[in-house]
Formats: sequence, C-alpha cells, structure tokens
Amino acid sequence: MKRYLTGFIFMAALVINTLISTRIYAEDISADEIVEKANLMAFYQGADGKAKVNMIITDSLGRERKRTFIILRKDIKDGGEQKYYVFFKKPADVRNMVFMVWKHIDTDDDRWLYLPALDLVKRIASNDKRTSFAGSHFLYEDISGRGINEDTHELIKQTDKFYILKNVPKDPQSVEFDSYNVWIDKKTFMPLKSEYYQKDEKYRTIEALETKKIDGYLTVTKSKASDLRTGGFTVSEFEKVQYDINIDEKIFTERYLRQKPRKWLR
Amino acid sequence: MIKTSAVGIAVIFIIFFFYQKICNAEEKCSNFFSGIDDFYNDYFDDSRFFAEGLYGIPVRDYEKTEKDEYIAFEGRIHFETTHYLDYIDFLAGFGPEIIYSGDLLVDIYEEALRYETRELSLFLRPNSLFDIKIGRQILTWGTGDYLFINDMFAKDYISFFIGRNDEYLKKPQDSLRVTFFNDIVNIDAVFLPWFFKNTTPTGDRILFFNGFKGKIAGEKSNWRYHEPKKQFSNSEQAVRMYRNIGRYEVAGYFFNGFLKNPRGFKNIPDTVYYPPVTVYGASVRGPFYNGIANTEIGYLDSRNDRNGNDPLIENSMIKYLLGYSQGFQNDLTMGVQYYIEQMMRYHSYKRNLMNKDFKRDPFRQLLTYSIRKEFFRQTGYINIFVFYSPTDNDVYCRPSVGYDINDSLTVMVGGNLFWGEKDFTEFGQYEKNTNIYIRVRYSL
Repeated sequence: MKRYLTGFIFMAALVINTLISTRIYAEDISADEIVEKANLMAFYQGADGKAKVNMIITDSLGRERKRTFIILRKDIKDGGEQKYYVFFKKPADVRNMVFMVWKHIDTDDDRWLYLPALDLVKRIASNDKRTSFAGSHFLYEDISGRGINEDTHELIKQTDKFYILKNVPKDPQSVEFDSYNVWIDKKTFMPLKSEYYQKDEKYRTIEALETKKIDGYLTVTKSKASDLRTGGFTVSEFEKVQYDINIDEKIFTERYLRQKPRKWLR
Repeated sequence: MIKTSAVGIAVIFIIFFFYQKICNAEEKCSNFFSGIDDFYNDYFDDSRFFAEGLYGIPVRDYEKTEKDEYIAFEGRIHFETTHYLDYIDFLAGFGPEIIYSGDLLVDIYEEALRYETRELSLFLRPNSLFDIKIGRQILTWGTGDYLFINDMFAKDYISFFIGRNDEYLKKPQDSLRVTFFNDIVNIDAVFLPWFFKNTTPTGDRILFFNGFKGKIAGEKSNWRYHEPKKQFSNSEQAVRMYRNIGRYEVAGYFFNGFLKNPRGFKNIPDTVYYPPVTVYGASVRGPFYNGIANTEIGYLDSRNDRNGNDPLIENSMIKYLLGYSQGFQNDLTMGVQYYIEQMMRYHSYKRNLMNKDFKRDPFRQLLTYSIRKEFFRQTGYINIFVFYSPTDNDVYCRPSVGYDINDSLTVMVGGNLFWGEKDFTEFGQYEKNTNIYIRVRYSL
C-alpha cells in the first residue's frame, strides 16, 4: 500500500512538475516561436484543404460588390512551400477564371491566370504581395500568409487570453506599413486580430469574427478587413471547409487550369 | 443564315430564361425553384451570360467603306454553360462534359443578324494520362502578348481592330485535341480536319493595302479568297510538347497546314489564297530579374516556295520573340517585347519582286510596350498597348480606359490608332481606319 502511495506521490509530483514547467515554458516562449506556431495555425492546417469563399466588399459609400471563389490548397512542406488553386464564381465577368499560385518562401511566388474565353494561360508578372486580392480589402499576403522571416517580432504584451506581438518589416521599402500588431490566442495560437500602423496612425485592421473546429482543425470561418481611412471593409466567409482530402499535387498544373478539376470544385 | 440565327436566338433565350429561373446559377432560390436548382447543379455548371454593346467611330478620312460614319455599331448576347453527362453510364467514369458557348450578334454595320457557336465540345478525361476534347473550341498556346509565332490557330483581326473584346481575337475551330500527360513531357496533339482562315480586312469595313492595285482600297476591292478544299489531305495538325523545368515552362511546337492570312497571290486578278506552311518552334517562359521573361522562336517553311523565287508566295521565315514584363506596387504592370521576322531567301525575293516600291525589310522588327494601371480597388483601369516597327516605320496603339460600375455593369472607352510612313506596311495600311469606341457590358 505504502509502495503504491509513494508511487502515487511520485506520479503526482511528476505531473505537477510537468504542469509547472509547461507554464514556465509558456511564459518563456519567444516571440519567434509564437509567430511560427501562429503561422502554422493560420495557413498550414492539415496537409491540404478546400473552401468556398464569399467576400462582400463594401466601399466608403456603402456600395457592395461580391466575390465568390473556391480555393484549393496543398502544403508541400509545413511552414514552407504551398500551392493554391482559386476558381472564380463571381462576379460574372470573371467567372471560370482560374488563379494559381506556387508559394515559395525565399523567392517570389509563381502565379498564373487562366482566361477561359481565350484558352490563355498567362503568367503573372506582378510579385507585389501587398496588393488587393480580387479587389477586396484583403491583400495577397492576408490570404496566403506573410513570410515569417520578413519581419522582426517582439512580444510587447500578454493578457489572459492573448500574446500581443509587434512586427516590424526588415525591408520597409517593400511594404506600405511601418509595423503591425497581432493578437494571438494563447491556447490555440490562432491569430485573431491584426492592426497596421503607418507612423503612429492605425489605418488598417483584420479581425476574425468567427472560428469553428472543422475536421479537428480550428478554422477562422469569418473575417473582416477594414480600411480605417476610407471606412471601406470586406467581410469574408469560408463555407464547405474540408481538410486532409488528399488533393493531388498534379491539380496545380496547367492541365487543370485549362480544364478544371471538377471533383474538387463541387 | 436566317434559319441558323433563329435557332440560335431560340436556344439562347430558352437557356437564358431557364438560367434566370434557377436564380443566377446558385443559392437564394425560392422553394418553388429549388427542384430546378438541384437539377441545374447536378447537370449544369459555370454558366455565364452577358449582353454587350459596341459603338465605334473613325477619326481619320475613313471613306469608301460600307458605312463611313461609324466603324462598329452592334449589340451582342453571349451565353455559355457546361453540361455534365454523368447520367450516360458508359461515359460516367470519364467525367464527360459538354461545353457550349455562343453569341448572337446584331450587327448594324453589316445590317445582319449573326449567330456564332464559339464552343460546342465534348470533354473526356479517361484517366490520369490523357484528356480529350472534340468539337468546336478555342485553342491558344505560345508566349507572346498579341504576337503569335507558334499559335497558328485562326484569329479575327477585324474584331481586334474595331474594338471588340480581346476574347473575340481568337476564333473557334473545329478540332480534336488530345493531351497526354506524364513526368517527362506533356504532349498536346490537335487535329483540325478543315481550314479556318483568319478574318482579315477585305476593304468593306477596314481599308487595307490592295497589292493588286498597289494602293489603299475600300469596299470595291472584291477580292476572291481561295481556301483549301475540305478534303483529308488538307487537314491541319498542331503539336505542342511542354514541361516545366524548375520554375521555367519549356515548349516545342509543330504545325502543318496553311498560312492563316491570304499571303499567296494567284495569277488571276484579285484572287488570293492561303499557301501551305510547316512551322517548327520552341519557347521558354519563367522568372527573370523582378518579373517574367519569355522567348519564342519559329521557323515557317513555305512549302511551295522554298527557294523564294515565286514572288506570289510568302517566303520562308524565322520569327524571334523576346519579352519581359514586370509588376510594380499599386497595381501597375509594364511589359516590353522585341520581335523579328527574318525573311529567308531575301535575294531571290528582291530579284523577283514585281514592284520595287513595296520592298520589305529582310529583318522586319517590331517593338511593343504595354502599361496597365488599376485604380479604385481594381475596378478601374488604364491600359495602353503600342506596337512600333522601326523597319516599317509604323505604329499601332491600343489605349483603353475601363470601369466596373458594379458587379454586372462595365464600361470602357478605347481606341485603335494606326500610323505609318508608307501605305503598304502592316500597320501603315490601316491608318485611315483609326478609330475610337465605347463598349458597355452587362453580365449575369
């Protein structure tokens, strides 16, 4: 009996010890580690994924424009290269156009556009990731992620729920902001809010409005990007989200630009 | 002609009615239509409809054409859809699709109602190794921007010159396309059973240089265009072999058929034809410096005039293209291209030339420059595309400004500006057709 008790105490001590050390570890976690985890959380959930995205873009005068597209994603390496296939449904004028990206980490992404009316596979020269995605208030980098090595990260504050990090670009010429702060959920490492600054003026925010657990993965299913200067904003909703559906890497080639992979777009 | 149009109109309206009823292709249907909606979603997809108006006026001394007061005045409706044939058991495993796209054009300039099937094809994907598409379809390959070397598929230059949307530059062709995929090299093989010519200026609408008369001519040109007869020996074949090497797209091309422009002159007045040609080419496209570079080359073997002695047939040629485009911040993109047409057997050409006044350069050179800037969150744009030939000393400039008023309605104003020192050069001959136009499109 005593032996068991000793064993129990030993186990309990071990557990408590582990808990304490985890807590200490959590307090000690570096800004870079947080960012790394947040990056995986926000952009690399599962080995691949699919979603139907509805965007409503509202301009400063309250006029609305709608964008609908289906997005397929495959990770070549977690935290590294990815491939994206974006099939446009709305507006009607761009319906059936396909936008494809091979995201690289240390070099510019490769981007293609397929124009069905001309059967034309175009290679896109623009490598400006700080430009609007499909005319919305989201930028390319908000959709496919910003390289974590492009900024220096500093943990400026912690609350009960959040790590708040300040990020400063290493190459200020390449971006329009001077810095941005990100609120990262302490439990899940999901980034839930970003505020962008030029000098001391906060001019742009992105916030998660809704998160859901889908196929075991925490997912932001509704988010909003706002331009604080003009008052315009875009709300983006993710529907039909699926993970780990074994999307073949071959989908991300010219073959499927010219003739869509119907099975994956339903 | 009238019958075809009537059928065309009927088909478009029935489909459009149906399409409207199923509530703009998806979602928010009333209960009454939800059954139709399901039916639609199971069997149709990717439908697109638009109505478009175009009005263009000439700004130079445009006369002796069919209508001198305007160069384009038309309305069009377009409908396209994809129908899935999954209910046909023996095809179901092949992901069978019927792709349809058609236009009904009310052409006030030509005082005609015309229906055109832009696409009507059956697509099959039997397995991971190949795709098949048979029927009328648009075919495009090559790396040039408005400059085509290995893309020997038919084009409509009248549409291009009078301000129609870019998509009407490409003409559909009846063909069988089989594409084989593997890790070594993908092969695109196209069989074109009959000839489709380029739509080129004939004088009725676009004034052009009439080689028989040696001057700019209008609607009384009355050329006769002899097309290759519809027989098996006149079928055309086009092959592209392509693969990626790292981030570079590499391709080899082959084409066997006829020139798409009437570059052969018969010994009968005002009669032209399309000489046979075989083309061998290659291209590379990929990242370079801060943008995308492309290079393409093609050798055109003029099979009926290999030694260049026949002045009535276009000589063999080598075409070279070098291009570079780059994006800048704030939705600004610029591109440049340098293109050369090297005439083979130039000495024979010079010796046999009938009118020395119209002598062409052995190395015809062309520079293009393009700039596109988008505004208002990509809903407005300014675009300029310029061709300039230092050897021909002529210019073709295509400026345009457009704005999406909302998700359905887009308006654009543009121009086709030609200038040339001489009347017989590629763009110089069209100087009098210089025009500006307005185009409005409503899409659903």
